Amino acid sequence: MPRSDFWSGLAVVAFGLLALVWMIPNYAGSNPFAQMPPELVPSIAAWIMIVCGGIVAAGGALRMLRDRVAPVTVHIDWRAIGWAIWPFFYLAGAIWVLTMVKITWAGPILIAGMLVLLGERRWWMVLGCAVVPVALLYVLSVYLMRIGVV
Amino acid sequence: MNFDAVGAAAAEALTLASFIGIGGGVLLGYVVGVIPGLSRSVAISIAIPLTFYMSPYIAISFLIGLSKGTAAGSAVSAILLNAPGEASSAATALDGYPMAKQGKPKTALQIGLIASVLGDIMATIILIFVAIPFARVALLFGPYEMAAILMFALVFIAGLSGGSLFKGLAAGGLGIFLGTIGLDNQTGLPRLTFGYTELMDGLPLIAVAIGTLALSEMFVQSERLRYDRANMAVTLEHRPDDRITWPIMRRILPTIFRGTGVGTFVGALPGLGPSVGSFMSYGMAQRAAKEPERFGKGEPKGIAASESADNAVIPAALIPLFGLGIPGNVSAALLIGAFAIHGITVGPLLLRDNPELLYSIFAGMILASLIMLALGWFGLMVFAQITRVPPHVVIPIVVFFCLAGMMLQGYGTFGLVILLGFAILGYLMKKYDYSFVTFLVAFIITPMLELNLRQSIILSRGNWAILLDRPIALFFIACTVVALVMLAWRSIRTGKPPAGAPAD
Repeated sequence: MPRSDFWSGLAVVAFGLLALVWMIPNYAGSNPFAQMPPELVPSIAAWIMIVCGGIVAAGGALRMLRDRVAPVTVHIDWRAIGWAIWPFFYLAGAIWVLTMVKITWAGPILIAGMLVLLGERRWWMVLGCAVVPVALLYVLSVYLMRIGVV
Repeated sequence: MNFDAVGAAAAEALTLASFIGIGGGVLLGYVVGVIPGLSRSVAISIAIPLTFYMSPYIAISFLIGLSKGTAAGSAVSAILLNAPGEASSAATALDGYPMAKQGKPKTALQIGLIASVLGDIMATIILIFVAIPFARVALLFGPYEMAAILMFALVFIAGLSGGSLFKGLAAGGLGIFLGTIGLDNQTGLPRLTFGYTELMDGLPLIAVAIGTLALSEMFVQSERLRYDRANMAVTLEHRPDDRITWPIMRRILPTIFRGTGVGTFVGALPGLGPSVGSFMSYGMAQRAAKEPERFGKGEPKGIAASESADNAVIPAALIPLFGLGIPGNVSAALLIGAFAIHGITVGPLLLRDNPELLYSIFAGMILASLIMLALGWFGLMVFAQITRVPPHVVIPIVVFFCLAGMMLQGYGTFGLVILLGFAILGYLMKKYDYSFVTFLVAFIITPMLELNLRQSIILSRGNWAILLDRPIALFFIACTVVALVMLAWRSIRTGKPPAGAPAD
């Protein structure tokens, strides 16, 4: 927990600094005549992130010092990390496929693939779960919402 | 009270379309609630795209019905599986599961249902009688008061919605920052759009909501599958003595009334969610009991206390929403998005500009409660079967509907990429205990906060002394400072938040 607080706090501070130093000056726009310039609220938000992220990181660092915990560890469970992040890559791949194929066609393969990866091996279950939601979407979009096949 | 509007609202609530829309919402909510891991906010965020082509009244009533259905349905899995459909039903599992294990699952389910429905109806009636006078007073508020109240609500939610205060405030800061993306409403110039025309209208709320709530939750669930695939289901058998009787009902009624009071109070305060309400009610029922040692071993009062408070929170959370336009929790925040999709500004102006709609929604809420009772009573055994659906089957289907929800709204690849981005952000926030509730509420109220702040600065011409003539604004500014100092002091001293439950 102190380790994760430390690193997550630092990440929040880093994002706040990035916003304050690069994003807001370059992309927030300005209006010298406005009593409340457009960059004011984003700047306040960035400062909130820097201050609060800093407190979280400092709290984590202090607890790490007190408990004599190193900020990094060599004991990383790569299999657990792999299991945690594969759905994100799967979804990124699915979005890439959806740029070329409509979801009504790609949907069953997307569901079936994920089901198999999550451990389902009964073919009738895979088939049913893959087809029924897509059929529902088809009926909803074509006949009820009348917006065509998405 | 405008009796013509009330009569018209009652007539609208009794139409076939209304029955189908609200009944569909409650039914869908019940099914979603029964499935462990699918929460109320997940259901609402996925269902918002479905309301696109409904009338505003049906759409909002559908979503509120969905919300009520999930609260009632989550008790089913809590009682039969010891796996609450929502965090707020965890207190129900404390007595519901032991009671089901003792061979009385149907009695436990019926107690949960009756407590849910009674808590819900009573809180809805309180909402009707409180929200309207509240909104009348709120109509007198100017931008100073609204800006001060919004700031207070944000600090309050950050402090009480789980995790540490500073993590909550950091999440709120991120929400405010991302909420400013889009055209600046004074200069009309693009702000933080990075040259993308798609961002001119700001980040799409649906992508933010579905990504942060639904999709990220599915990723959390899929990760959990690696460690926990056990199923501890209780089998349902037809036994004549397994049903609720009048003596049991008489015993639990005072507990239901108390639970409703607790739930209504907790729901009306921004930031405190149903989890706080149900556990607080459970604790009070235990303290008030003659034999407190029976709690946790299948005591009917435990189920009644938890479920009545859990369901009372939902209508009560709409008091600040309808009265002030401030969302007290994620579900209410999502309702603001749904109102906006239908071109309606929620808050005190709703009472002035569209009283018929407000009364219709109230009528729809009462109807939803009655439908919930009928559906729950007659469909209990059917809903109980849904608990057998394994989570690994649910995850891919929900992921598919998340993608489809975005595409149904006409968002192309850009929308899907934003969805993925917010799914990653939501996953990390859940993983590292940053309040996604505060993030989402901050994201949604930022345009309103900025507008009121800007109007205040323009009207006052930069003269802060004007606040001395605005006692309500001054009072809320003082409350914000006091709340911030107290919460920070408590957070630093104990290292723990004052309330550790998510305000979902």
